[in-house]
Amino acid sequence: MAARTRYYDGVTAQALDVTVRPSTHELVISRTEGIDVVARWPIGEVRILGDSEHEAVPPLAHGDERLMVEDAELRRQIALAVPQLAKLGAPKPSATGRIAIFGTTFAALLGLFWVGIDFGSELAAPMVPYSLQARLGNSVMKELVAGHQLCTSPAGLAAINGLANRLAKAADYGHPVKVTIIRGGPINAFTLPGGQLLFYSDLIDKAHDGNEVAGVLAHEMGHAVHYHSMKGLARQYGLNQLLRLMTGGYSDLGTVGAGGGLLLALQNGRNFERDADSTGVLLLEKLGLRADGIAEFFADLEKAHPTDMAAQLGIWSTHPPTAERIAATKRPPTGKPAFSDEEWAALKAVCGSNKENNPVPERFRQKPLATVPTPPPAKEPPGLPPPGKR
Amino acid sequence: MTDISAPAPASAPDLTPSRPVYDGKLSELYGIYFRHLALMVLTLGWSRFWGRTRLRRYLWSHFAVLGDRLEYRGRGLELMIGFVLVLLMLGVWGGLIWAFWEYVLHEKSIPGLGLFDIFTFSLFFLGVPLAFVGHYAGLRYRLTRTRWRGIRCDLGGSAWGYGAKATGLHLANGLCGQLLTPLMSVLLAQPRIANARLGTQRLEFAGRSGDIYGRFIGYYFLNILAWIVAIAVAVTAATWGGRSLGIVEKDVTELFTHFTPRTVLILIGLAFALYVLFGVMILPLRCWWQAYLWRYLVSRTRAGTVLFASAMSTRQMWGFLVLNYLIVMVTLGLGWPWVAHRTARLIAGQLWLYGSPDGASIRQPPDRPPRFGEGLLEMFDVTGV
Repeated sequence: MAARTRYYDGVTAQALDVTVRPSTHELVISRTEGIDVVARWPIGEVRILGDSEHEAVPPLAHGDERLMVEDAELRRQIALAVPQLAKLGAPKPSATGRIAIFGTTFAALLGLFWVGIDFGSELAAPMVPYSLQARLGNSVMKELVAGHQLCTSPAGLAAINGLANRLAKAADYGHPVKVTIIRGGPINAFTLPGGQLLFYSDLIDKAHDGNEVAGVLAHEMGHAVHYHSMKGLARQYGLNQLLRLMTGGYSDLGTVGAGGGLLLALQNGRNFERDADSTGVLLLEKLGLRADGIAEFFADLEKAHPTDMAAQLGIWSTHPPTAERIAATKRPPTGKPAFSDEEWAALKAVCGSNKENNPVPERFRQKPLATVPTPPPAKEPPGLPPPGKR
Repeated sequence: MTDISAPAPASAPDLTPSRPVYDGKLSELYGIYFRHLALMVLTLGWSRFWGRTRLRRYLWSHFAVLGDRLEYRGRGLELMIGFVLVLLMLGVWGGLIWAFWEYVLHEKSIPGLGLFDIFTFSLFFLGVPLAFVGHYAGLRYRLTRTRWRGIRCDLGGSAWGYGAKATGLHLANGLCGQLLTPLMSVLLAQPRIANARLGTQRLEFAGRSGDIYGRFIGYYFLNILAWIVAIAVAVTAATWGGRSLGIVEKDVTELFTHFTPRTVLILIGLAFALYVLFGVMILPLRCWWQAYLWRYLVSRTRAGTVLFASAMSTRQMWGFLVLNYLIVMVTLGLGWPWVAHRTARLIAGQLWLYGSPDGASIRQPPDRPPRFGEGLLEMFDVTGV
């Protein structure tokens, strides 16, 4: 572009090629050198719009009027002559230098952010006020138990809650733990924030003895004492933020990023499971209880389902392969039984021997509902393998 | 001797051709972009309004039309306020949904549909029309912050009206198997072009969908044919390739569940093969139509005595639509400045102006510009710069 100076009057779209004569108190803009003056701008009223980094030519403005000095040397001379316009003479910063500085800073900040997510969630999760964790856990529990029948036999609940709280104490957890049991399947258990544990009665029904249930309970306590659910939430949130910042919110990249984020979340999930397995065994051993239950439970699962989905799914699985977990948790059958015979019997009967309906307790009810919908007793609880495979 | 009573020949309009000039440098754009990214991480994304403004200032000021540079005078704060206002609107909407849930539905709706689900669904249905409103309002914001020769640009018309029109047309087009595309393209281009102005100089648009239907019908059926052929080729290649390489279902399962460098290589190869197939069969057709549509819309636009034309080719449209997309995807977003730079150069190279405006007759626009901008666009649409 030719080095020229253009003047726009701010009223019409006429453009004039002009010359500029700076003095200490005004800029004189004229069509030819010093003659045919088109404007006189008092220095105090002149503004520089922008800067040399972002603007090809930082415009000089006087109200809506503009002066575009294309010639860098002329801009430098004006800047020298008029100290108030010194910025006009600033050279363009080196692009290479800025790329190096900001590129490195960006990469370093991303690394720090990543480390922050990883370690920050580890540190921050236990610091989240317990009341908040409990409220969060309660709301998730409400969703999970909605429409299900709960097992409410006091003796059975006392047995499992008693062991859960002994394990919590052994781990210095410092908060009460509450176990809720849903009638039916699948054969599974969950840990929610705020020390809330959820068991399905099929898990208790299918267990060979109380030690297997105790093993699963200790595993879930492992999740609770490590605050895995809170850490998982924090990491997921942090990761989403990181991806958003990296990709500038570009939706398709967000999708690619979400795929990566999911893989990382699943990897986190598998690591959490390994942690919970080892902590569960340690807690049982610390209390002098039999710690072989969890490995036995996994072995039963493996027998019932020889095709291990976790191994099949590999990186897409939330859990490590069952064989790996059996090997990691294998312990000798030594120590006291986790439940007394009476406790184990009470736990087996926690849903009631006659399978009567146990409605959802008041605290989990959706408030304005007059009656909680209770589906008819299932002939076949969902999630069980077909009879031939039992 | 000259017969002075004879009428003087009418002076031919000045139709001197010219093109815009873009003189930005990719390295400078990257310097600004990396600073923007670093600040984004530091401020958890809240600096994006200022970063976007800086990038626009760079791009605009390196773009000159008829020898005079554009000016971008938007401010990051305006964008942030626009965004916060939309956030507040969403908060109010969330409150209304909650009140409806609590006092009308009494927390009871379709089983499995919670308060959050209802809110998300409502946003999904509202989001589509609001994105169109945001497109128009965003264009208005950007134009009112753009100056040429010191004169501010503007966009009249109602963003809500445009949003309703765009929503209706997209819905109708979807229901008609995309056969209304030419009508929709022209009807939606009309307000965006004819309501735009430089100061008091309006742009005019004289497009008619009937002019482009013939080309579109050709594209439409060729496109269907191309899809059938592409799918047939892909299925045949996958079946034949799998058999000849002795790959069974178990191998495929193993491949996708246990990542190894081999898996990554195979995935890259597959993606490349699919892209080549898609790129060869489908995309050139689409680019052929899009380039034609672009040329048509540009050629039916004028600003007073200035006429516009474009010679955008299918290959250039491919570079714009496809290559730019690939650059952003492959570089995980870091290629964005490159794409912006390429696009600016493409516009500068392919947009022709015939004639020049009568500057003395163009004055500042009478309307006041909007105070904030782009909140809806930020919230409901994917925005670049």
